[in-house]
Parts: sequence; structure tokens; C-alpha cells
Amino acid sequence: MTATTVTPKTPASGARVRVRASRLVLYTVLVVITGLMLGPFGWLVITGLKTTPELAASPVHWLPDKIQWHNFADAFTQIDFLGYARNSLIISLIYATLVTLSSAWVGFGFARLSAPGKKVLFGVLIGSMMLPQMITLFPTYLIFAKLGMVDTYWPWVLWGLSAAPYLVFLFRQFFAGMPRELEEAAIVDGCGYTGIFWRIFLPQSWPVLTASFVIAFTWSWGDFIAPMLLLSSDRTTLSVALMTSYVTPSGLPVNNLLAAGSVMYVVPILLIFLVAQRGFVAGMSTSGLK
Amino acid sequence: MTVGQIPEAATRPRASARSGSAPSADLPRTSMTARRQRAFYMFTSPWVIGFLLLTVGPMAYALWLSFTTFDGISPNWRYVGLDNYRELLSDPVTWDSLSRAGVFAITSVPLSIVAGLALAVLVNRPLKARGLFRTLLYLPAVVPPVGAGLIFKQLFNRDSGAANGVLDIFGIDAIAWLDDPYARYVILMAVLWAAGNVMIISLAGLQDVPRELHEAARIDGASAWRTFRSITVPLLSPVLLFQAVTGMIASVQTIMPLLIAAEPTPKGVTAIPQTNYMYMMHVFAEYFALGRYGYASALLWVLFVLILIVTGLIFKFTSGVVFYNVDPEAKK
Repeated sequence: MTATTVTPKTPASGARVRVRASRLVLYTVLVVITGLMLGPFGWLVITGLKTTPELAASPVHWLPDKIQWHNFADAFTQIDFLGYARNSLIISLIYATLVTLSSAWVGFGFARLSAPGKKVLFGVLIGSMMLPQMITLFPTYLIFAKLGMVDTYWPWVLWGLSAAPYLVFLFRQFFAGMPRELEEAAIVDGCGYTGIFWRIFLPQSWPVLTASFVIAFTWSWGDFIAPMLLLSSDRTTLSVALMTSYVTPSGLPVNNLLAAGSVMYVVPILLIFLVAQRGFVAGMSTSGLK
Repeated sequence: MTVGQIPEAATRPRASARSGSAPSADLPRTSMTARRQRAFYMFTSPWVIGFLLLTVGPMAYALWLSFTTFDGISPNWRYVGLDNYRELLSDPVTWDSLSRAGVFAITSVPLSIVAGLALAVLVNRPLKARGLFRTLLYLPAVVPPVGAGLIFKQLFNRDSGAANGVLDIFGIDAIAWLDDPYARYVILMAVLWAAGNVMIISLAGLQDVPRELHEAARIDGASAWRTFRSITVPLLSPVLLFQAVTGMIASVQTIMPLLIAAEPTPKGVTAIPQTNYMYMMHVFAEYFALGRYGYASALLWVLFVLILIVTGLIFKFTSGVVFYNVDPEAKK
């Protein structure tokens, strides 16, 4: 840092002690906060490894006397875990694939083409990013119900095909930075805009495609209200099943199995995030900036 | 790979030569323009059609329903004009649930912005394992709301939750966190747990703040706090404003109260603790627990208009801070 070269050198030892003390405080604060943030994950895992009597004990039984690994296996059998996970996976894959392609398509239009009304449309696009999703979902449900699309995956296909404003924006930012010579050469060669999109722009946008796919996948994996309203109890997703199915015949929650199931629900998302971290974070932060 | 190294690499294409806006001279200009225009409409049509059918359509449908007694079952539903609106205005539940939502918004949004910004400043310092800290602090924000709901239900379980375990160490009796009047603090904490979202976005903004500015301020003898207040915050203001607006909209329609409810179903929503029975829960209950589609749609539209007004007011009082570049060719 240049600042230190300007400041006159202080009597060394005192300053160094102060610097070291402030570093120590900084690291302590960080470690404590990080611990608090990770604590809830830890507690979920610990809860998933206890017996039911241990969970009922008062005062709180901090650690299981004997680690109950079989809770994780039981969580699979108490509900049709794999069946629900498969439903979640199908819906998330359908939605993430379609919405990524459609958003790239629309994003290309906003980035590389223009026509009267573009400014207005772009304004509406940006505005619709702020539209309250939950609010529009309720009447949309009524319409889907009317059209007989309840208990089918069609709503996710339609949502996927109609592009997500947020992802459109992401692609638009990316495509806008690509050199114009690319498409001019293609046009001279007799290539239409569809060809330019598929053959030139899309193959160059792997980072955004990945980011968009991961973001869309986690959205729909974590979605609760839409599958709860639209799907019957055996076609529904893991989110809904977890929330409602780990109960005793008399309706009381089975917390250790629920916690074990929750771990297996959250871990895939965390893994996807850790693997695709860069693109994911880039996508998230672009949204708030530009 | 760290959380902090942000957009450039991933959101910008590799090649980035400057582009002229005029089409090449040897191509017939008018047909080119016509072609580009047609292509523009073709490319944007999926979103335009989807927006009309899946957003505008349903909202218009709800607006129409809000003037009727439609319940999905009775064939004798009819147009009743403003009756639903009159009813909701005179129902104390409307006002109570609305004020709970308002209180939740004006506590949770500033708190998570302050927390996220503080985290961002902390992990923007030169640190060992900085990338690791960023990743770990951001991790909770990746967890979907359902996951957060499940986790906080365990954490604040009356018998087996760690929260009561900690209280017990200090000799405090167990608290029924998920009931009145404490349930609202649980959703507040669940929201704050995801402060990593604000952190990551602020961090991207912080890295755009020119270092020279900070150094100049330091040389002039400004304290760290003063530098933060007079340089960092103003430069981050567009980002913070965006966070405030989206955070407000998100908090008003949060379903976290439902996610930590004993029975998170349309039926169970009527039994959630009073303090968590916020406006959105009321709308949800009227729609799906009671099936009063007409009345619920009126409630929905009131909320929608309120959100538009509040968003508009926020932008009005902070105008000129946020700038969207519509035409990429006009950039730089």
C-alpha cells in the first residue's frame, strides 16, 4: 500500500503491537460470525443423528450418545424420498434448461438488435424483475387450474419457455460486449440471426449459460408454493414432501428423520454452488450492479 | 476459486473489440434495418408473450375477480362492484396483517443491508483465507427458503433446539420460539442468516471503489469510519438502493412464516402464530384455505398497488442514483 510510504515511520514496536492486536480482533470477529452462520447447518446434522428420546430430553441433549447413522437410511424409506427427489430433478431440469435457452434467446435480441419500442420493452423487462412473484403466482394458479394443467409439469414448461427477466438481463449484458464483426461476417456469409445466435453467440457463452442454469436450477429446486399448489402429493417435489410428510401416524413431526432428510435436500444445492461458484456469484452480483 | 473474484471473467465475453453501430456499407441499408427489426421482435417474443400470458393476464384476471364473489365452486357468483374492497377496508385483520408486514419490512430490510454491508467490508480487507471466509459467509444465502425454514425449525424447536439449550446454560427457561410472541424473531433471524446475498453484491460494488479515493482520504487524515461514510457508502448507494427495493418487495411477500409453521399447508396457514400472520399469509389463506377467490384477489390487488406506490416513492426520493444503460451500443 502506498499510504504507508507517505506516513512517517512511527517508533516501530508500538505500532506493530497495535496492528497485531487489531488483526487478532478482526480474525476473532470473523471466526465468531462464520461460526454463527455455519452453526445452523451443524445443528441440522446433529439433530439428524440423534434418537427420538434424545430429542425429547430436557434440558437439551447436545450430542447424540450413539451416532444414529441409520436415520439417514430411514429418511429414505419413511417417505418415498427418491421418488420426490426425482420429481424435483425432472422439474428443475426442464425449467432450468428451457429458461436458460429462452433467456439467452431474448437476451440476444435486446443486446444485438433493435426496433421501435425497444426502450419501452427494456424498461418493462427491468420493471418486471421487481414484480412480486408470489402475487402473480396465485391468480396464475387459478388459470392453470382452469386449463387443466394442475398435476402436470406443463406450468414449468411454460414458465421455462417464457424466459426470466433476471436471466435475460444477465445474457444481454454478456452478449452486448461481443464484437460486432462476428455477426457482420456471418451476415455477409448469408447467415440469418437465428444462425448467428446458435452457431456464433451461444457456443461462446458457456460461463453465462452455466451461471444461468445453476441459478434457475436452484430456484426451482427450492420452490415451495408453486409445487404445493399445482401438484398432487405423489407427483410433488422434495421441498413439499419434506415440509409435510415426515410425521407419525398421529401427525407429530419425526424431527430426527426430518433433519436427516433436510440435510440430503440442502447438500446437493451446496455442492452445486461450490462447484459452480464463480459463475453463480458473478450472476448474483451483476444483477445488483449494472 | 473464491466468492469475491467477481464479474469480469464470467460475465463478459473473452473478445471485446469495439463495435461500430452502422452496418457494413456494402449491404443494402434499408433491408438490413428491416431485417434487424423483424429479428428483434422474433427474439424478444418469447418473453413478451410469456409476460402477457403468465403475468399481465393473471393480474387482469385477478382484477376482474376482485369485483365478484367467485369461489371456484358456487355457480351463482356475480359481479359485486367494490364490495370486496369495502369489506377488506373495514376488516381489522387486513390492517393488522398489513402493519405486521410493514414492521417486518422496515426491520428486516435495513438490518440485512447493514449486516451484509458490514460483512462485505470485513471480508474486503486483506486477510488470510479471505476466499474461504467469503464462501462460508455466503453459504447460508445459497440455501433455498425451504431449507432455511427446515433448519430454523430445528434450531428453535422447543425441546430439541439449540436456542433453548443456550438459554438453559444461562439458567433461562425454555421458550416456545415458534409460537407467539417469539415467532416473528425466528423469521427475522432466518432472513438475517441470508445476509450473504447483500454481502456478495456489496462486495462487487466495494471492489469497484477506486483505491486512490481511500488513500487520498487517509492521507488527508480521515478516520476509517469517516472514509466509509463519505466515500464507500455514497459510491455503493445504487447497489444499496437496489437492495432496499428488492429486499422490501421480497420481505412483503415472504413465505417464511408458512415455512416455520407447524403445518405448512393451505389448511395450516390459518393456524400460524398471530405475530407471523402477515398480509401475504392472509392473502394466501383467503385464496387457498377459504377459497374466497374474489375477496382474496381484492386483497392481492391492494398489496400490488401498495408495492408499486412504495417502490415509486423510493425511486422518486433517490432519483438519479440508479442508471440503466438501455442501448449497449451507446455505452462508454
